[in-house]
Amino acid sequence: MQQVLNCIDAGTEYCPCFLAETGECLMCSQLQRKTFCDCRNWNGVCIYQEYISNRSQKKEHRKALPGRILKREVISDSVIILKIQVNKTLARELSQPGAYVFLKNIKDPNYFDAPMSIMSADEREASVDVAIQIKGVKTRALDEFNITEVSLRGPYWNGVLGLKYIKGVQEQKALLVTRGIGQAPAVPVAKKLILAGNSVEVILDQGRAGANFAEKYFRELGCEIKIKPVFDLKTLTLTDEIKEYIRQSVLENSIKLVYSSGSDKMHEGICRLLLSTAPDVFFACSNGASFCCGEGVCGSCHTRTTDGTRIKTCKTQLNPVEIFGGGR
Amino acid sequence: MAKIIIIGGGWSGCAAAVTAKKAGADVTILEKTDLLLGLGNVGGIMRNNGRYTAAEEIKALGAAELIDITDRAARHTNVDFPGHSHATLYDVIKIEPLVRRKLKEMGINLEFEVRAVDVQMNGAGIKSILTADERWIEGDVYIETTGSTGPMGNCLRYGNGCSMCILRCPTFGPRISISQRAGVEDLLGQRGDDSYGAMSGSCKLCKESLSEEYQERLNKDGVVIVAIPPEDINLRKLSIKVCQQYALKEFAENIVLLDTGYAKLMTSYYPLEKLRKIPGFEFARFDDPYSGGRANSIRYLSMAPRNNAMKVSGVTNLLCAGEKSGLFVGHTEAIGTGSLAGHNSVRLFLGMPLLELPRAIALGDIIAYTNEMMNDVDGIKNRYTFSGGNYFARMQKQGLYNIDATAIKKNIEKIGLTDIFRTRLI
Repeated sequence: MQQVLNCIDAGTEYCPCFLAETGECLMCSQLQRKTFCDCRNWNGVCIYQEYISNRSQKKEHRKALPGRILKREVISDSVIILKIQVNKTLARELSQPGAYVFLKNIKDPNYFDAPMSIMSADEREASVDVAIQIKGVKTRALDEFNITEVSLRGPYWNGVLGLKYIKGVQEQKALLVTRGIGQAPAVPVAKKLILAGNSVEVILDQGRAGANFAEKYFRELGCEIKIKPVFDLKTLTLTDEIKEYIRQSVLENSIKLVYSSGSDKMHEGICRLLLSTAPDVFFACSNGASFCCGEGVCGSCHTRTTDGTRIKTCKTQLNPVEIFGGGR
Repeated sequence: MAKIIIIGGGWSGCAAAVTAKKAGADVTILEKTDLLLGLGNVGGIMRNNGRYTAAEEIKALGAAELIDITDRAARHTNVDFPGHSHATLYDVIKIEPLVRRKLKEMGINLEFEVRAVDVQMNGAGIKSILTADERWIEGDVYIETTGSTGPMGNCLRYGNGCSMCILRCPTFGPRISISQRAGVEDLLGQRGDDSYGAMSGSCKLCKESLSEEYQERLNKDGVVIVAIPPEDINLRKLSIKVCQQYALKEFAENIVLLDTGYAKLMTSYYPLEKLRKIPGFEFARFDDPYSGGRANSIRYLSMAPRNNAMKVSGVTNLLCAGEKSGLFVGHTEAIGTGSLAGHNSVRLFLGMPLLELPRAIALGDIIAYTNEMMNDVDGIKNRYTFSGGNYFARMQKQGLYNIDATAIKKNIEKIGLTDIFRTRLI
């Protein structure tokens, strides 16, 4: 039995989208080729109303914009950080946990688009910082020492699962467990939590990134930082040290939310550990699915919840326990 | 202890809570808005025509609480208006706090702003209810009184769009059909032209926006009738109305206003520009629905198949009442069906035979008759109320209409059901 599923785009200027036109809306029964309301996952806006009042068409979809590279910083053999000039509107829209864009070298064709989490967005300067791990074709094409301009398609927002738990925690304590390139999407999460009066502890494991490149961002925000190995690559499990640390944190240090930022195996380890020790603690995590279109169209990001339901993770917000909890 | 969960705190949900509590259960109402009574917050008409009989029957059966409150909150009694006699008009502004206080005094748990969105089944029974804020609420027996109004998508597809009615879907979220979530397909009411749903039949003007003369007459007599300019008469509007008891020619040719605290305008909607042309209405504005100049809520798109003891077919521990249980119109009908469902919820928990009210009384007859009509090709296009239309005609024909309270009481005594809803079963 699933909990409540939500579409990250519901009620935004990009809703209704392509899926409404094809009768595949994630939220609205009227836009799933049914003729009656069954609004289980209401998100504050009647999407059918929006669709009809928009003359039964989707809203204008996201466009790609050129972005000048303001700064290119080489962190390690495999990680670079780009500071990119955007407009103020896009910077503002990207200034939230889970925000990401599709990025490609301006000269490359559209299928080089690679999803990149926003590590930091500065509305005043109209710029965003992204950390890129050089892994394959798309990211290598971005790793040119003389790159001057990229193309950004966005904004997209579903880079973090369990957003409502992050947004719902106030004046509490939160623990962020990050590894490798997963440090990047954890920065806006930390910022959001700090702004809501929480005290935030961050565990950094450089992982395959080869450096704790986000440390200075977390320090600037006022997070408490611990450097520890989080994940054992040989056994694909959490290290005993981190298991014990998380257990103590939730049992003795009244942590209200644990955020996992790394691989799916890491999410699974932390999620199950929480379920067995402190099931009332909220769990959120980075979204590690393979995004390709970001619009719920191509299907590359699909996964299944523990009850077998197929979901499109590029758009679906849900309690990540439904994916990583291993069933009730 | 029987734990009864009631989904929806309208008149029928409140009535079910009262009788389930009196039968000895632990009762919780889950209400998605911040108000009990749902559309009862903008209704107000009691005791007109056959509703008088039904109200007295409900009292004699032992569920007087809510009827008494509507009597106590009356602004006017014994009002006549076209096609209707001896109506009581309760004050819609005073009624909700009175009911809320009564339910709290009785020890009924009220959970506001809790929207039920799904069920978890255990075989053919409901194990628990999922709320929009991701809580699972468990009970022994569930009563669905979510009504059939809206939500916005239905009001748009089958009406003129969201009219911003008292249910306030955009704020509190839409109604969900719990029975459908439990795997039982909803039944749909139709209009004469085979389209689905029906439109709520009245809108409310801010009384202070009318001329002083009309305000005074409303305060004094409870009713004002004003002729509509011939060019604005629209007889077609009658056919889309829920309330067939008010779908009379007089209501198309005249503005009929009733004083319920608001000036209740007995038509689904009325374009504001046209309304303001009528002398005395120059300053008119709507209080409910806010967009009463253009639309009203759409109803009857979500009814559950049930038996005459109000149990939903196909789910072992779910009962229903009010509009959810059939093409009923009105508070009295909701209170009557709700009272029966509440009482039977405890019987169901105890494994006792469920109570069916005999057809020798109006309440028993309307429950059974509406059930028959729901399976009838033409019956599904009609609505059933003690106060008018074909059911009131049937009441009169069958000798069920009576306005002698003592005789009604005796009638209930004769069938051996006096104070049955007062009986503690646990």
